[in-house]
Amino acid sequence: MSAILADAAPILQIEDLSVSFDTAAGQVKAAENVSFVLHRGETLALVGETGCGKSVVASSIMQLLPGNAHIQGRAVYAGRDLLGLDEREMSRIRGSEIAIVFQNPSLALNPIIRVGDQVAEMLRVRKGAAAVEAMQKARDMLSGLGLQGEKKMRMYPFQFSGGMNQRVMIAASMILSPRIIIADEPSKGLDGALAKEVMAEMARIKNQSGASLLLITHDLNLARDISDRMAVMYCGEIVEIGRSEEIFNKPLHPYTAALLDCLPERGFQPIPGSSPSMINPPSGCKFLPRCPKGSERCNRMPGMATVEGMSTAFGSSESIGREVRCWLY
Amino acid sequence: MLAILKAEDVSLVYESGLIFKKRHEALKGISLQLQPGKTVGLMGPSGSGKTTLGKILAGIERPTSGRIFFAGRELGTMNKSETTAFRKAVQMVFQDPEGSLNPKKSIEQSIAEVLAMLKIPSGRWKDVTGRMLEKVGLSEELLCRYPGQISGGQCQRVALGRVLLLQPQVIILDEPTSALDISVQAQILNLLKELQRDLGLAYLLISHQSNVIRFMAQETIVLEGGMISEQSSTYSHSSPGNKPQNIA
Amino acid sequence: MECCKKEGCGIECCNMEGRRTKRILMALCSAGSDLRAQKISLVGLLLFLSFVLMAVFSLQLAPYDPWIRFEPYLLPGGEHILGTNDLGNDILSELIYGTRVSLIVGFAAALLATITGTIVGLLAGYYRGMTDEILMGITDIFLMIPQIPLIIVIASFLRPSFWLVAILMGALWWTSTARVVRSKTLQVRENGFVQAARALGFSDFHIIFTDVLPNTIHVIAPKFLLSIASAMIAEASISFLGLGDPTMKSWGTMINFAFTRGGFINGYWWWYLTPGLCITLFVLCVVLMGFAWEEQEQEYRRLE
Repeated sequence: MSAILADAAPILQIEDLSVSFDTAAGQVKAAENVSFVLHRGETLALVGETGCGKSVVASSIMQLLPGNAHIQGRAVYAGRDLLGLDEREMSRIRGSEIAIVFQNPSLALNPIIRVGDQVAEMLRVRKGAAAVEAMQKARDMLSGLGLQGEKKMRMYPFQFSGGMNQRVMIAASMILSPRIIIADEPSKGLDGALAKEVMAEMARIKNQSGASLLLITHDLNLARDISDRMAVMYCGEIVEIGRSEEIFNKPLHPYTAALLDCLPERGFQPIPGSSPSMINPPSGCKFLPRCPKGSERCNRMPGMATVEGMSTAFGSSESIGREVRCWLY
Repeated sequence: MLAILKAEDVSLVYESGLIFKKRHEALKGISLQLQPGKTVGLMGPSGSGKTTLGKILAGIERPTSGRIFFAGRELGTMNKSETTAFRKAVQMVFQDPEGSLNPKKSIEQSIAEVLAMLKIPSGRWKDVTGRMLEKVGLSEELLCRYPGQISGGQCQRVALGRVLLLQPQVIILDEPTSALDISVQAQILNLLKELQRDLGLAYLLISHQSNVIRFMAQETIVLEGGMISEQSSTYSHSSPGNKPQNIA
Repeated sequence: MECCKKEGCGIECCNMEGRRTKRILMALCSAGSDLRAQKISLVGLLLFLSFVLMAVFSLQLAPYDPWIRFEPYLLPGGEHILGTNDLGNDILSELIYGTRVSLIVGFAAALLATITGTIVGLLAGYYRGMTDEILMGITDIFLMIPQIPLIIVIASFLRPSFWLVAILMGALWWTSTARVVRSKTLQVRENGFVQAARALGFSDFHIIFTDVLPNTIHVIAPKFLLSIASAMIAEASISFLGLGDPTMKSWGTMINFAFTRGGFINGYWWWYLTPGLCITLFVLCVVLMGFAWEEQEQEYRRLE
């Protein structure tokens, strides 16, 4: 967990982001009116289940979505709307200022280039650093992540396990000291203990460089351990945002509460029903069919309500509200 | 209670190479028992042979040595009809839910082929399918879809439903929920428990998650390097949760 | 499908998502990415259909019976659009009737080769072990045989007929399909649903033909289409060498006669250019269709 309290200025502001895809089956509304703020030095977790739209949000910020996507809204970084930038500008920002770490590390690495070279390449190509200097930095970075030694640097990705490749990916993304790191399911495919180690290392590097981390995961416990604030997504919408620890202790939105009850620690209590179709979503609150506290008014879509006094703002001691999308508040 | 499926000193050795043979002992001297209405949990790090043991118990793979007993009869000594009965009575549900269904067959076709194999008269198919879907909590809307169009949880339910059509007595569950979301996992686990209660099934639950095993199993076996390193009984929770009512 | 008649099953469910043919048509006609590629493949399909129509309706389309003799050595134009050959047969009619022969030979050979190759590949890939070794051994032996020379040798000894040519080609060309199908089967076999089907107790036969085969079709279909093209060219070559069936008019025999009767030397381009063009166009459209099929399969898999 981050301990930086100094500067809590927002570094990335997402305003009313909506993404939909054209498919043979119709228009899939992957994300609707997603708004959140990422502060400097903080770790924000986007949490939700498969299909809730969290990966789509991350990819859309970086303009990495396929051609049949329609994006609306704004993603403001350093005073500019990322969604309005052209490809040349975007490619300058990608990697050096905003880095994204994807799910399948073994697929993202070039199989015929040595690991050390791949990490150093980032510095050489993007920052024009000298080869020797780049290799040294790569070596330092990799040792910090537990891959020590010259021998490891000279190995190829296929000789590494999934976990090691994941660490190489992390090193490659963080070596340029980006200001924002977006990590998409970084612990997928890793065993429990290894996942904890890798995430701890990521958090350490992030704290050192003062970067912000946008973590996308379906693992609630990981989100709680690593992140300062958490945004819970359901069916393409954010239903609750607030401090992670506080959400865990007192979830406000019925979906968040039900989701937490599904955790092994709380006895695997299931949520009845299944998530609605993303092509023809219900008008009004999307969780209504499964909500134990639903009522008449839920047939209209609720807006984000701020509940006072439930959270403290990141980086300061003033109390700000928790935001919930529910008529109960 | 009499064990319905028993493994005695089962070992599996892989040999490769023509002249310089390399031996790899996947399983060494495994003995366990499955009883009706009870679950045995099988844990261990990846590569410890859990899935292989599951396949051997299901009759899909043959051990190099050791004996498997089903309802008191040893596998090698069974005649044809007993072997057929064994094949039907011991079933397996695999880890990747979408992978267990042929992507080119609609759900209806996947179910129909099982019904055809069981030689159920086609007039009764609609009825039997309807009852099976209800049991696993799926709606009939799903029938015309393809596996790629339904969620992982629904795929897993279809796979489970197909297995139940054979009226098995033992189900080997290989990581049934590890590829599923948290809420779906909770639903499937509760469904499995309910089915066990209603049908008296014996489960061998293979999982790397200890909390899943604790929730479901009365006995836990830990495999390491192909050998049993720990065997203990777990105190099973009775879940305080709701019954999974599935609308869609 | 029956479920569409039940109420409560949304129309979108069966109409759009369930129907594979509809998806193919939608993929071909929809304005998605790769529009140009789809237009090209549509062209290929149209060409192919027109050739098939030419073959089926030769009687109606051809202006004259190709065996009737008119005045020989006529230049193209007037009553005979493509002129007449040295025997006085109308060339256009010959061309249209020739479509039948060439297409039949092409299809028959390709069909025989593909079916044999598929069966061999499926069995070898599914059963592995001894079956695989034996079948692949046989495949290797057939691969060693030089195909066109063998066809030439056999055709020289036996009575030349286009059926013979078709059977011979089919009997020799199945090898590459067998290899490709075998490797795809080896892959598909490891899939979860094949294992699940075995666990449920389905017979091997059932699994091979309902689970494995449909998942290998996208590998077989392009090979089938390309085999048609190869068969047609081979038939043309053999006929050109004079080993074909002189009693049937095919595009290859037309070119052969053009050559032997002095058409090339005298520059009677309408004798040999038109059948040559037909062969080229047919091969082209078959290749385009194969390309379209592969593209569509890729799109289809990306959608999923």
